[in-house]
Formats: sequence, C-alpha cells, structure tokens
Amino acid sequence: MKKSFLSKLINAPYILWSAIFIVVPLIIVAYFTFTNKNGSFSLENIYEIPDYTGIFLRSIIYALVATAITLVVSYPFAYFMSRTKVRTQSMMIMLVMLPMWMNLLIRTYSWTTILEKTGLINSFFGLFGLGPYNLIGTSGAVIVGMVYNYLPYMILPIYTSMSKIDKSYIEAAKDLGSSSFDSLKRVILPLTLPGIISGITMVFVPSVSTFYIADKLGSTKTLMIGDVIQKKFDIDVYSGIGASLSLVLMVIILICIVFMNRFSDSEDGGIIV
Amino acid sequence: MSNKKNILELKNITVSFDGEKILDDISLSISDKEFVTLLGPSGCGKTTTLRIIAGFLEPDSGDVFFDGEIINSLPANKRNVNTIFQRYALFPHLNVYDNIAFGLKVKKVPKDEIKKRVKEMLKLVNLEGFEKRSIAKLSGGQQQRVAIARAVINKPKILLLDEPLAALDLKLRKDMQTELKNIQKQLGITFIFVTHDQEEALSMSDKVVVMNEGKIQHIGTPQDIYNEPVNAFVADFIGESNIIDGVMLDDFKVKIEGVTLQCLDKGFKTNEAVDVVIRPEDVDIVHPEKGLITGEVTSVTFLGVHFEIIVDVNGFKWMIQTTDESKVGDKVGLLIEPDAIHIMKKSKYSGLYGDYSSFSDEMDEISNPDVEIVSEED
Repeated sequence: MKKSFLSKLINAPYILWSAIFIVVPLIIVAYFTFTNKNGSFSLENIYEIPDYTGIFLRSIIYALVATAITLVVSYPFAYFMSRTKVRTQSMMIMLVMLPMWMNLLIRTYSWTTILEKTGLINSFFGLFGLGPYNLIGTSGAVIVGMVYNYLPYMILPIYTSMSKIDKSYIEAAKDLGSSSFDSLKRVILPLTLPGIISGITMVFVPSVSTFYIADKLGSTKTLMIGDVIQKKFDIDVYSGIGASLSLVLMVIILICIVFMNRFSDSEDGGIIV
Repeated sequence: MSNKKNILELKNITVSFDGEKILDDISLSISDKEFVTLLGPSGCGKTTTLRIIAGFLEPDSGDVFFDGEIINSLPANKRNVNTIFQRYALFPHLNVYDNIAFGLKVKKVPKDEIKKRVKEMLKLVNLEGFEKRSIAKLSGGQQQRVAIARAVINKPKILLLDEPLAALDLKLRKDMQTELKNIQKQLGITFIFVTHDQEEALSMSDKVVVMNEGKIQHIGTPQDIYNEPVNAFVADFIGESNIIDGVMLDDFKVKIEGVTLQCLDKGFKTNEAVDVVIRPEDVDIVHPEKGLITGEVTSVTFLGVHFEIIVDVNGFKWMIQTTDESKVGDKVGLLIEPDAIHIMKKSKYSGLYGDYSSFSDEMDEISNPDVEIVSEED
C-alpha cells in the first residue's frame, strides 16, 4: 500500500525523534569507540575490552542468578494471585507496583539500612547474641538488590498472561484426566510462556546493565559493568573505553533479546523492553 | 440404594451461589446408552447440573451416583466422564493431533496406541489429514469435531455436551445434530446434552428434562413433553401453544370461552380450574357458524409452509397455523378435535404464558430498562 503524503507528514516527527535520540547517540558511541583522544581512527579502545572480561562475566552471572530467582518467586506468586478474587487481584497488583513509584536509587539505598552492620537484620540477630554478619558488600546483597528492584517486571507480565488464560482450558485439562500438576505442566505453563519470556527479558536486560545497586550494596569485588561504565564517564565525558564497553554491552543485550524472541513465536508474545 | 441399570443418578441436589438457589432439589436418573437433553432458558440451572456431573462443582446437599456409587467429591480428573465445552476450550498451543491425544498422554498410554486411536478418532469425526493443523486455523465446525474427538477418545461412560451447537450456523447445526446422534449410536455411550433450543432437544433426545428456575419441570420423551406438558411453562417453552383458562366440568368435558368441549382427559375434580393447551397446528379455521368458538382475525403472516394467523377471541389472542388463507378482519370459527386438547393442573406458571397478544418474555425484557439480563456464565 502506498503511503499518502498525510501519513508521511504525521510520521515525520516520530522518525525525527528516533533519529535524534536513538540513532545519533548510537553513532556518537560508535565514534568514541573507534577514535582516540586526537579524534583519529584507532582500535585502542577495542584492545582494552578483554581487560574487562571478568566484570562482564560477573555482570552476566549476577543478572542470570537474579533473573532466575525473580522467576522462581514470581511464577507461583502470579499463579496464586490470578486465582484470587478480582478485587484482591487489583489490590495485590497495586502492592506489587507500589515500590515502582519510588526512585530506584532510594529503594536501593534503603536496603543498606537493612543490611549494614548496624542495620535491621543484624540488630535482630543481635538480640539473640548472634552476629553481626557481613551482609552488605557481598554478591548476595547485590543480587538481593536486583531481585527486589526488578521483581515487579517479572510478576506483571506473567500475571497478565496467567489471567488471560480462559478457565475452561484448565477445566478441559481436568476433564481429560489431568491432575493439578499435569494441568500446570501441559496447559498453564505453555500458555504463560510469552509472559515468562517477556518477564525474563525485562528483568535480565536492566539487571545486566544496572549500576548503583552493586555500587551501594556490593564492594569493589562485586562491581558490575554498568558501574564501571558510569565511573569511566564520571571521570571523562569523552571516555573512549566507556564508549566501547557500552557498545559491547549493547551487543550482548541485543543478542539476548534476539535469542529470547526466538522462543516466543506467537503473535501476542511480543516483548516490551 | 440406587438402581443398577442407571448409570447416573442425581438425588435431591441443591446448589446455591451467594444465597441464591441455582439448583433446587434436583433428582434425575439416567440409564446407560441414553441420549438425555437438559432443556431450559438461560439461568435455569442446566449448565450447573452438567458441571455437577462433570465434577467441577460439588452439590451443597444431595448425592450424585455413578454406577451405583456416590461420587460427590470425586474430582473431575478421576471421573469416567468427558465434556464438550460450550466454546470447545481446545488448547490453543497444541495442534489437532495433540489436542485429541491429550487425555491419553496424561494417562501415559503407549505412543503407538495413541497414534492408532487418534487416527480412529479423526476418521470418526471426518477430519483425516488435519493432524498438524493449528487450532486457530480451524472453522467452528471443525473445532467442534476436534472437541468431540478429544472427549470420546478417552472412552467415557458418559459424554457431557454443553450447548455444543450454539456457535454453529443453522445448516451446519442441523447436520451436526444428525452426526452427533450417529456418533452416539456408534459409540454406544450415554450423552447428556444441554441446550436452550427446544427443536434440538426434540429431534435428538431419548429423554428430555425441562428445567426452569433451578427446578426440573418435566421429564419425558420428546413426544410426552410436547403432547402432554405438565404445566404452562413447559407447554410454552416447547413449541407454540395457546394456553387458555378452563374449567373441568366432568371427566372428558372441559369448558373454555363459555363453550363446553369434548376432551380425552380425566381424573380432575368437578369444576376444577385448569389450564387448557391447544397447539396452533391443531386448530382448524372454518366458517363462523360451523366453529365451536368464534373470533376475529387480527394478523396473518405467511411462513412458507403455512400461515400464522392470530385470532382474537374475547380479548384472548390465539395463534393458529393453517394452510388456508384468511384476511385481517375476517370473522372466523375455530374447530378443535377432542385429541387436540390437553388439560393441565394449575401451576405457578398459569396465566404467564400462552397468550399471543404480547411479545415474548425475552422481547419484553430487552425493552425493559429495569431488567438486567444476566448470562449463564458466572
């Protein structure tokens, strides 16, 4: 179908917007990646990337662990939530979303008061003469921070796909001899797969690139790639290595999204990132 | 104790939701290999009855017997009963083959046998070659067949059908009625069929159970319920009827519209007030002088096979189906044979049905802003 002049006109602002705020920044990132301080072509920023392999790996592993934990926590939660009365459901959704209305930095900061040496948990153990334990500054604390911050992004898409399932499918499964476990395995799980995939992507992608959480709740040993990039640009706005690390991170995320999209071939399984 | 020959028995089943009685003391016996239809308007409790039999719902009181054993709290997956759902509920993530094979896979039947039985089923429902087709790419009629195959492959003793033809268009519905009946004979199992379509109920069933307001109104063969309805509700719901107030003068003698008519009914008290049912096709229109009752034609509708004529007799409007044409305003006589008259005892439905001076209840409800029309799905 040939597009009319009018529809081109209507689309123009969006195309312009995308160009200025998506394409141009990407070009700038690429430019700083492949140039040196003098502005001439150079691969020195690329050669430096292998030094950060460990941090990349750590980021990916932390993000995978955090994603796995959120999935394990969210799926049963969404399942039982979808089974409650409609009014209870909207109440619970509100409670799930409530922390999202607060800034991520504040939410993360509040965890330090829970985890630190004189924090809530250690004070509690202190009552029984235990501890204080080293909670803050560990990889566990970083993962807890990510799970807490990104949990709603897992619960909501799974809950949405769960509540869309027609009750008669579950009755049909029962009618055909399925136990509750069989229905879960053969009907509910496959039908909620788009939600699961969407949730995994929405938790993994921000987790792998997150900064501040590891900085605040972790130590130098638990630094993630997002923190490294942030620090590079903190020191030098025109950081070449910061740009190249960002580029690698984007490629990793892109690969991950393409990979996840292959799982959800159904029409309604589109991933929102 | 229950009778051995009955495959299923419901005894005094009562179910309430939020204080409202959905089923009120339902008792019903169904024998093996019978085609039973639960018939009634929406909200009459027929689907709830089906869900009790399927095991999706436990009765508040009363017992469900299957082969003589109480199965009140036996879960659906342990019952030898399968259901065809109203909108089929075929699994959208599985293709035709996997949908049909579902029940056998759950029961861990060997793969070779599953293959063989799915093939037999596809043949039974005339869908050979559709194994790999996705559910979304099937027409309503094809989905219906897959739903049948998916249910009967499990060799249930009873197949429950919840308005399975409601979504199909008229021609296909007629064909599927015949086909379902054939499948039932071929498999030799009991079918319990839920519908609000009285024609469907009459043409397919061995036994019809007419329900209204959570109560069974009438159980009988299609002929029984058409020819000898127990009350005004049944008479009106099954086909068209003129229901006239009458007085039983004596055995075989009933007085309506001031005229005494011969009838075949007896056993009523002298001068007992009764409801008199006369089917529109059983009234002959004759010259006013030859008729037993006289009236004036107020409307004539040509319906192809016959005319539908409304005749005003002292303010009560009769519906008459006849092949003889009349004109609006004609004075006519009505002739009624004794065997066309059916006498019913007065019931709470007396006076509510059987007069053609107004629209149907449904039509009245549609135009009434005070009535909220609630569909049967909860």
